Amino acid sequence: MTLQIELNSVNKFYGAYHALKNIDLAIEKGSFVALVGPSGCGKSTLLRSLAGLEKITTGEMKIAGDSMNDVPPRKRDVAMVFQSYALYPHMTVEENLTYSLRIRGVSRAEARKTAEEVAAITGLTDLMQRYPRELSGGQRQRVAMSRAIIRHPKAFLFDEPLSNLDAALRVHMRKEIRALHERLRATSVYVTHDQIEAMTMADHVVVMRDGVIEQQGRPLDLYDRPANRFVAGFIGSPAMNFLPAKVAEDGRHAVLDFGRLALGEGLAPGTAVTVGIRPEHIRMVPAGEGDFNVPIDSVESTGSTTYVTSATQPELTVVENGRGALRSGDVVGLAIDPAQLHLFDGDGKRIEQTHSNVGELRRLQSAETARPLRIGV
Amino acid sequence: MKKILSSVTDGKGFDIGLVLLPLAFLFVLSGLPLVYNVVMSFQEVDMFSLGSFARPFVGFKNYVDLFSQPETGPILFNTALFVSASIVGQFVIGFGLALFFWTNFPGASWLRGLFLVSWVMPGLVVGAIWNWILSGDFGVLNFFLREMAIINANIFWRSDPNYSLWAVIIANIWLGTSFNMILLSVGLSGIPKDLYEAAELDGATMLQRFFTITLPMMRSTIGAIVALGLIFTLQQFDLFAGITSGGPNNSSNVTQYWAWDLSFRQYDFAKGATISVIMIVFVMLASVVYVRSTRHEVRG
Repeated sequence: MTLQIELNSVNKFYGAYHALKNIDLAIEKGSFVALVGPSGCGKSTLLRSLAGLEKITTGEMKIAGDSMNDVPPRKRDVAMVFQSYALYPHMTVEENLTYSLRIRGVSRAEARKTAEEVAAITGLTDLMQRYPRELSGGQRQRVAMSRAIIRHPKAFLFDEPLSNLDAALRVHMRKEIRALHERLRATSVYVTHDQIEAMTMADHVVVMRDGVIEQQGRPLDLYDRPANRFVAGFIGSPAMNFLPAKVAEDGRHAVLDFGRLALGEGLAPGTAVTVGIRPEHIRMVPAGEGDFNVPIDSVESTGSTTYVTSATQPELTVVENGRGALRSGDVVGLAIDPAQLHLFDGDGKRIEQTHSNVGELRRLQSAETARPLRIGV
Repeated sequence: MKKILSSVTDGKGFDIGLVLLPLAFLFVLSGLPLVYNVVMSFQEVDMFSLGSFARPFVGFKNYVDLFSQPETGPILFNTALFVSASIVGQFVIGFGLALFFWTNFPGASWLRGLFLVSWVMPGLVVGAIWNWILSGDFGVLNFFLREMAIINANIFWRSDPNYSLWAVIIANIWLGTSFNMILLSVGLSGIPKDLYEAAELDGATMLQRFFTITLPMMRSTIGAIVALGLIFTLQQFDLFAGITSGGPNNSSNVTQYWAWDLSFRQYDFAKGATISVIMIVFVMLASVVYVRSTRHEVRG
């Protein structure tokens, strides 16, 4: 695969503020990359730098093999979908779509024909003579996308395009954008603060914080093997539980405030670590049968899923399918598969564990799941 | 009775009251003088009949007389020239300054505020200042033009019939530019920045962005400013009184100054009123443009 976008140790300063720190990024042609992170992490700055709307201070930026460092935005041949859509309010939908073509001197008739082809793909055919103010949020969103598509740019840049839509429409447009990508196979960079959007839409997710790329990779790799505590907490919903612990004398257990957990091998006894467990990887069993017992603080059920929070310090969240009959104040046992534990050192970095007996553990676990256990009944 | 009272304190009666109060105010202070003025333009008015309403009606005699006077044509032309040159000058320089300050260099907003000084100055003071600048023998404008080798001999701006109107126009442009600049600045800052970014990514050069984004987005602001400019320049009286007094030989006379001159210096109130009525028509047209352009705000 050829690389469409390449960033080599890119830095961006606003005065003394270091907004992007040594960003290295390689994006393959035709892939869909999500930049995700909390607000102020530099993801939008990175996207705007790709568009040329911000000038990078040092480093090298290439699009389709050409250095873009000194190329103005209008010559970069990238299209951007803005959070606000930035539709030209004084132009009809058709004029909005054909703007870039008309600027390039394409004849009106030809531009109109192209616009109609794009409108047919995005379902705007009946709205061509409307003004942006006469459109709904979802329709405006589509116009913004069509305006990008019509140019066949080298890359699509999306700047939180769905954040102005309501929840239901957001889920719908998520699918639509993804479907459009499957169809056009255009290189896309998608900025979002919503990790679910990133996980569901992208081929490749880049997690950023404070101007640094914390981790990048395929969405499920990020979920399965987060490189550090930040990524572990950011990816996945509800967020991962973090428990302070010490490695026990035998080097094969973690000692928590309220119990012991089996670990992999090769850990130095006495090391202070943070144990991370995803809420969906904890199973609730009758008290005394799990790794340890905890009292329950609150139980929230959405009908299909139940969120249970323990009355421990720090509190643990457990997700369970269905509706358990648990109540606040009950005591339950928690069973945790060592293979699904994440360990982080004092700096928050991931500690790799080796499980010589993972196969056996997995077998054990599947045997247990085969015997469904209703808690609190 | 109680029902009416409660309607006035809280209900439809209250709403009507809110509307009636300003309407009554406008009628007494603007409507009545306006009507009185129109009525007067159809009457024979002299010093002795000034105190009574019952004056002989003469139909369109005042209008016919007015247009048969030899100075009427040139004065109307002067007015048209004064209004259009002032508006064009104020608008072009004002827009240029607004775009300049829009680049937001350090201190831009502070400097922009400082520009308003020219606008808050009384017209007579501005007139006095420009009298010095325009002075034929020792004026700084002549000095500047001479040193720049644009002219060979001094121009007597205020007493040369070829230049006298332009003397007032220059002063009026100076006076009105900052107002245009402020209103246009407001219009410019109302255009979302991301439109320019989108246009830039769509491949538009700076000039293309100006003509395809800035100008169309400013349409309502520009319409409002031109209409206000027309109203303000038609009201401009102080500068004429301060600089040329309409002379020499009416070469810088305009309708608004002439109306005053006829009424209060020649005591021909009927003709003064007649000119005012003609001006009212133009101001009304400008007002319609103004109201229409501020009503249609184009925003996404």
